Amino acid sequence: MIELSNIVKTYLTGGVETPVLHGINFTVEEGEFVALMGPSGTGKSTLMNILGLLDRPTGGSYRLAGQDLTTLDDNGLSAIRNKRIGFVFQLFHLLPRVSVLQNVLLPFLYTEPYPPDAKERAKSLLQSVGLGDRMSFKPNALSGGQQQRVAIARALVNEPSIILADEPTGNLDSVASGEILEIFDRIHREGRTIVMVTHEPDVAAHAQRVITLKDGAVATDERRN
Amino acid sequence: MSAADIALDVTTSRRHRAAGLRPVRLLRLARHAAGALWSQKAKAFLMMIGTAVGIMLLTAVVGLSAGVQNRINQITAFFGPRSIMVFAGGGHLHGAGGRAEAGTTLKLQDAQAIQSQYGYEAVVAPGIFSGDANVKAGGVGTQTHIVSSTPDYSEAFDWYVQEGEPIDSDDERSMARVAVLGATVATNLFGAEDPIGKHLFINNVPFVVKGLLTSKGTSAMGFDQDDRIWIPLSTGMNRVFHQDYIRFIRLKVRPDYQVASVVDQITQLLRQRHRIVPPEQDDFRIITPDFIAQRVQSMARTTELVGGALALVALLVGGVVLMNILLLSLSERVPEIGLKRALGARQRDILVEFLSESVLVSLFGMILGVLLGLVPVLVIPRLFPMMPMAVSWKTFAYAALFSTGVGLLFGVQPARRAAKLNPVEALR
Ligand SMILES: Nc1ncnc2c1ncn2[C@@H]1O[C@H](COP(=O)(O)OP(=O)(O)O)[C@@H](O)[C@H]1O
Ligand SMILES: [Mg+2]
Repeated sequence: MIELSNIVKTYLTGGVETPVLHGINFTVEEGEFVALMGPSGTGKSTLMNILGLLDRPTGGSYRLAGQDLTTLDDNGLSAIRNKRIGFVFQLFHLLPRVSVLQNVLLPFLYTEPYPPDAKERAKSLLQSVGLGDRMSFKPNALSGGQQQRVAIARALVNEPSIILADEPTGNLDSVASGEILEIFDRIHREGRTIVMVTHEPDVAAHAQRVITLKDGAVATDERRN
Repeated sequence: MSAADIALDVTTSRRHRAAGLRPVRLLRLARHAAGALWSQKAKAFLMMIGTAVGIMLLTAVVGLSAGVQNRINQITAFFGPRSIMVFAGGGHLHGAGGRAEAGTTLKLQDAQAIQSQYGYEAVVAPGIFSGDANVKAGGVGTQTHIVSSTPDYSEAFDWYVQEGEPIDSDDERSMARVAVLGATVATNLFGAEDPIGKHLFINNVPFVVKGLLTSKGTSAMGFDQDDRIWIPLSTGMNRVFHQDYIRFIRLKVRPDYQVASVVDQITQLLRQRHRIVPPEQDDFRIITPDFIAQRVQSMARTTELVGGALALVALLVGGVVLMNILLLSLSERVPEIGLKRALGARQRDILVEFLSESVLVSLFGMILGVLLGLVPVLVIPRLFPMMPMAVSWKTFAYAALFSTGVGLLFGVQPARRAAKLNPVEALR
């Protein structure tokens, strides 16, 4: 599904080069739930941005389902982000001015052709994350845990094959985190590929596989059953 | 996801790029942009004020222009598009009044000379207008206008009898005391009775009613055209008003000839006959629909120019304000842009969303401006009937054109800045 070979990322700011990733190699199979761990500043978010096609690596190749994506232009990358990748962010990133339902429908703004059952899909997803009675609320009327559940529904609404979550429970208390992780377990069981960044071992325990980054390289890569 | 899926994605995205932006997508993004505006109404209102003021002025100016054009069309229609009026008396003011002492030099012989030299180019009808003559019939008296003119009056003014007979050349030759009545005079004097064959007195001279003119109603300038009586010119000059000069010569240029060249020819002829050498002033005035149109237009032109310039300035200032508010509010919307890029928005989608916002806000400004601008357009002519103002399709066409232009022109820089944001940095 995901094949990274020798991914290098060097930031260039004001003539200063900051090397962050020094040759990342790993493969994620379809349906895997991978936790990405490592100390702060080690390049986890940088790697997630590359996986999510929000940023380009400085070197190396990234293949998604056998297709080299490094040659695609912005329009091509945008289309793949829209249809194949679902993002869940630490800070939820909901649009405060529109309702919960409209937030979940947001990806369809950029989907061609517009699916005729968009609303039904969004509603049933909101019901499945326990927010069926909150659809017309504005995001700021919801708790953090509820907001993150809206964000998960939004990430799933276009039926992507990969979910990328960068510290999705980093801003939540343990009860809310538990609820979020339950949802991740469920979508994993449904066959989706998940890559999740986390600092917490008990969160990582939900994954089948833990990849640890250290100083911009893969330090450990452990699978468990 | 299979390789085929990815390949599909890539080809779809290529197809979209080739097709630019599909209209459904554009509509979807524009609707979303409308929602964004709605959520910040106060700011949107600030953004639209400049456009509203500009479009308001534009609406008023276009209303004035349209009114002027309408007035010109009315006058031309009333005057006759191929007609020429020669009035006795010099000076440049138009109208039949003129200076009385200067008004005695136009003679019947002038009209006859024009007739004999240029009669093949135009119908020629000389005459006298006499306002407020006293008319009596039976016990009833009234005041009305008397037009003394030759049998060509009908053709020259396109004004024919509806009943009875017109003034004919026998009447003219014999100074017959026969009259053709306008509808208003006929009613005033004879009520519902048939006036033909009845007797009446004009300034105490007895006449017999010979015919009735078709009704023309009230003119564009607001006077009742049917309040008149037509009598033979010879009768008017010799039996009623006792004058050896005429007040006007009406010409209707025949289809194959040019109004302007007829005007030149008769100007030369009259100057020659009256021994006038320019720069000496003419003792007659020649008026054509073009002449009237020019006068009306020149009266409105200053207002149009000043109003138009003000409208343009307001639109430009409004556009700059719009652009700056958009640029200022961009920083608040950076996370939103990052999110949308993550959700699959292309640079072009972001551009379209932001441009839609600026165009929509300008269009709302336009609606406000047109509504405000229509107030003077509708009210002023009611208060001052001489001020011509009219609603025209041009009002809406120009308003739409200019407001869309402002929205696009001043929205493009903020929109491009939004589209070019780096998604990773925008999301941080
Ligand atoms: N746009 C950037 N320009 C320069 N340096 C950056 C940029 N983004 C991240 N970095 C640096 O790259 C390193 C890795 O950052 P990040 O990927 O956010 O780490 P993590 O998510 O593992 O905490 C950090 O040292 C950070 O300062
Ligand atoms: Mg991070």
